[in-house]
Amino acid sequence: MKKRVTEFSIRHPWAVIGIAVVITAFFAMQFPSMKIDTDPQNMLEADEPTRLFHQFAKEEFNLYDFIAVGVVKEPTAFSTDMLNRIYRITSEITELDGIIVEDIMAPSTVDDIKQGPGGSLVIEPLMAGEIETDEQARYILGRINDSPILKGKLASEDGRAIALFIPLESKDVSHSVAGQIREITDRLGGEATYHIAGLPLAEDSFGSEMFVQMAYSAPAALIIIMLLLLMFFRQMKIVVAPMVVAMMSTIWAMGLLILTGNTVHIMSSMIPIFLIPISVLNSIHIISEFHDHYKRYKHKDATIRHSINELFVPMLFTSMTTVAGFVSLALTPIPPVRVFGAFVAFGIVVAWFLSLTINPAIGMLVSSRALRNFGRTDDAHGPLSRVLNTFRNLSGRRNKSIIAAASVVIVVAAVGLTLIEVNDNPVKWFKKSHPIRQADMAMNQHLAGTYMNYLVFESEDPDHMKDPQVLAYMEDFQRELEKEEVVGATTGLTDIVKKVRYELFGADSARAVIPDNQTEVGQMLFLFEMSGGDPDDLFKFVTNDYARANLWVQLKNGDNQQVQRVVDRSEAFLAAHEPPDGISVQWAGLPYINIEWQRQMVTGMRSSLMSSYIVVFLMMTFLFRSIRWGAISMLPLTITIMAIYAFIGYIGKPYDMPVAVLSSLTLGLSIDFAIHFIQRLRTLHARTQSFKEAFHEIFEGAGRAISRNVLVIAIGFVPMMFSSLVPYVTVGSFFLAIMVVSGLVTMLLLPAISATFNKALFPARAQASGKESAPVRGRAA
Amino acid sequence: MRKVTTYLILVFTAVLASTAMAASEDATEIMKKSHLAYYYAGNDGLAEVGMTLIDKKGKERSRQFSMLRLDVEEGGNQKYYTYFKKPSDVSRLTFMVHKTSGGNDARWIYVPAVDLVKPISADDKNSSFVGSDFSYEDVSGRHWMEDNHTFVKDSALAGAPVYVIESVPKESYKGFSRKLSYIDKTTLLPMKEEYYDKKGNLIRVFKAEKVEVIDGIATVTVRSMEDVKKGSRTVVSFSSISYNIGIEEDVFTERYLKSPPRKFIK
Repeated sequence: MKKRVTEFSIRHPWAVIGIAVVITAFFAMQFPSMKIDTDPQNMLEADEPTRLFHQFAKEEFNLYDFIAVGVVKEPTAFSTDMLNRIYRITSEITELDGIIVEDIMAPSTVDDIKQGPGGSLVIEPLMAGEIETDEQARYILGRINDSPILKGKLASEDGRAIALFIPLESKDVSHSVAGQIREITDRLGGEATYHIAGLPLAEDSFGSEMFVQMAYSAPAALIIIMLLLLMFFRQMKIVVAPMVVAMMSTIWAMGLLILTGNTVHIMSSMIPIFLIPISVLNSIHIISEFHDHYKRYKHKDATIRHSINELFVPMLFTSMTTVAGFVSLALTPIPPVRVFGAFVAFGIVVAWFLSLTINPAIGMLVSSRALRNFGRTDDAHGPLSRVLNTFRNLSGRRNKSIIAAASVVIVVAAVGLTLIEVNDNPVKWFKKSHPIRQADMAMNQHLAGTYMNYLVFESEDPDHMKDPQVLAYMEDFQRELEKEEVVGATTGLTDIVKKVRYELFGADSARAVIPDNQTEVGQMLFLFEMSGGDPDDLFKFVTNDYARANLWVQLKNGDNQQVQRVVDRSEAFLAAHEPPDGISVQWAGLPYINIEWQRQMVTGMRSSLMSSYIVVFLMMTFLFRSIRWGAISMLPLTITIMAIYAFIGYIGKPYDMPVAVLSSLTLGLSIDFAIHFIQRLRTLHARTQSFKEAFHEIFEGAGRAISRNVLVIAIGFVPMMFSSLVPYVTVGSFFLAIMVVSGLVTMLLLPAISATFNKALFPARAQASGKESAPVRGRAA
Repeated sequence: MRKVTTYLILVFTAVLASTAMAASEDATEIMKKSHLAYYYAGNDGLAEVGMTLIDKKGKERSRQFSMLRLDVEEGGNQKYYTYFKKPSDVSRLTFMVHKTSGGNDARWIYVPAVDLVKPISADDKNSSFVGSDFSYEDVSGRHWMEDNHTFVKDSALAGAPVYVIESVPKESYKGFSRKLSYIDKTTLLPMKEEYYDKKGNLIRVFKAEKVEVIDGIATVTVRSMEDVKKGSRTVVSFSSISYNIGIEEDVFTERYLKSPPRKFIK
């Protein structure tokens, strides 16, 4: 099979390229029908109970995702000028498309429950029109601070910050609405600082910025990789081949993904970035081999036949193990991760096949004249040779020290792994310097929080929420949750009842309590509706049959760990204080959904990593027909994964979605060098029947190719580290770490182990896969 | 020839303008009569009122109350007294309005659970009446002099001839920017009203669902208001209606807020 494929490519290069181009064009034609989905909610199955309940709560209480606009002004935002500016800004915002005008929360839109003339109760807008004096401004701040419903939420107590909450028809307009609001505040804002924050905005903006990043990260990586290859091989036409393979496999994978009706989610947008290095790896091995032997064969086709022959088995296995790593993602309960895994796996298979066909085909098209200076010259004193010599000497002479050092690394890493903190927060997918992060920090410092969770109290019986016992329980719950520092405020039906009562009795604090009978609760709420209170405001906190109530729990931080603390506290409270009969309590809200999918992802990734680890071990044992070699080949992979994740544990970087998903990439890539190294070391040994000779040679052929790979992939993705999106930085760093660590372990530990145990590992008459060897004598690689 | 044309155009314009003016006066007159027919039927009135509030999901809430009305002056000041019966937790709650024509209405509420009578501020006539889609103003009426009225056309609604009249507030108003009323030519009752906001969007629709003649007076016994934007709807039905029963003005005082006039309210 391999012979036929390679022979065909050698004989009909144009046909091979032509067919590949046609198929590529077909897949590229799917791109215009790409559907983008940036909603992290889709990380959960559509029928996941958490998600369904969130949806239910949103409909039941008419809740919308919102973005928060923060105005910070020193020494105070409560001046005539600032409030009038905010008034005008708010009224322009109401004109925008895609927002729920009735539910905007701003000084000019929220109602104040207060006493009117003659001891009357009035509910009217806090700021009915533009104001004329600073005294009016201060009065408004006073009213906010006197209302448990508004205090800390609409403005900071010191008056330096004001928040506007803009509810959206749907989350996916938040990026564009935020842009329009930014335009309005730039025009009308005056001297204050304006921040735009909110989880939906972070999620939606991440989606849009992600595609922009992808549009330049992927080509930038390709260009850098190409330049590095050019440096190594000094022949443009040859170097083009890996680029073609990388681009084609990416286009095939993405095209098929779109063709099969899948949406391009945050995860799948990363497919090109994952496929490029994986597909380039194979090509580099081929070109490296071609390069190093061209001078000897002098004929393109002979050199190509030799290279493919030498590399077919290791390439097949490196590709299969990487496929195994990504296919295992199908075991996770997270749909976008499953899609991602499946299509990366498909892309790897394509890349493997194209490496075996496109590389030879393009190689054949390069004229022999162009290659007259091509090929390895004696560079025994070149930098790469010197480095390889060092490795050879170190692992040959200090073999025991290397094994000891590796053991220490494993122990230190094992400790580091226990320090890993699982945490995520979509806002933190942006770097600290990003406006969204800045806004998040500023607003949550001044105000009660931009992250909204909901605690829903449910009963079968209408009017149950008017029961003073239930309200008292709800109030206790509020006080309990507020003990968490991250909880900036809680607001519920309780607060409305208490506020009405407080104002009804002439701002008497003693009356700001839950009444002791249900009739009075009912009448207080009726009074709210009679006094100009918008019933829709009420029904954000309770359903109109009073069978369900909704407690707004505002958080200053959306870190999953923090949200989890609040949820844990609520569970502890529930366990210690049984709710009144017939009442059940359940969480909803975007931050809550995020912790749920994180939980599923962490457990899902764990089992996926475990299973692919076992599969890879079995594959290695099969490849080498030896459990011993199977185990040894797992070392670079094991140490790389442990070292990288231990490093994450030690530096305290949260184990988040990108970090979790990268474990399968780490697994898939860090086995590759070991396969090449061991397979070819054994081949060499079988051929030469001399461990010494094989040990020397392995640093030439395989060593050279591995080093080139390390440099090309590690450096190729360095630009990603300067991205403003943290997951991109993470991915770029991972490529570097995977290459360097697994490269080092392969080139130091594996030879050290081979040298130490060479008698046991290389019995006098090794059989292994000697039959794979090329009919070449002398300094064969 | 040109002079003749100019002359003709002038005459034509003048005629058109005068008919327009006449139509405008007529429109105002129609609106006034309609207002009187709808809000000032008889000298006083008594009715049992059932209100159903239907939200956009079709969930219903209901209110039930007795309502007394006394016209102090035809087309002018009025007094309203409302005694709530349902929902049960607000039973015995009472509510009173002294409507001052051209001024601010005075409103009081008696909250039995805390035995308190409280004035309710009347600044925003536009706010919802007991949480329904009707505003306070819809209940007690917006004075016809507050809007400019124009006759649009003659038309028919469910086979009955109506005047279609457009009303635009004289001063910018939060409640609506334009209103189209369909006034029954015989009873002069508003059969339908469409309210538009400043962008020209339809925001609310009033409908007289059922008209009955009671004590010789044509009365809208079932009426509805739909909030187009919110998708909610309120249906109000009047029963046990009687007119001219001699309600004393004394009934509309604080004393009766706490204990309803049993003569009229059972």
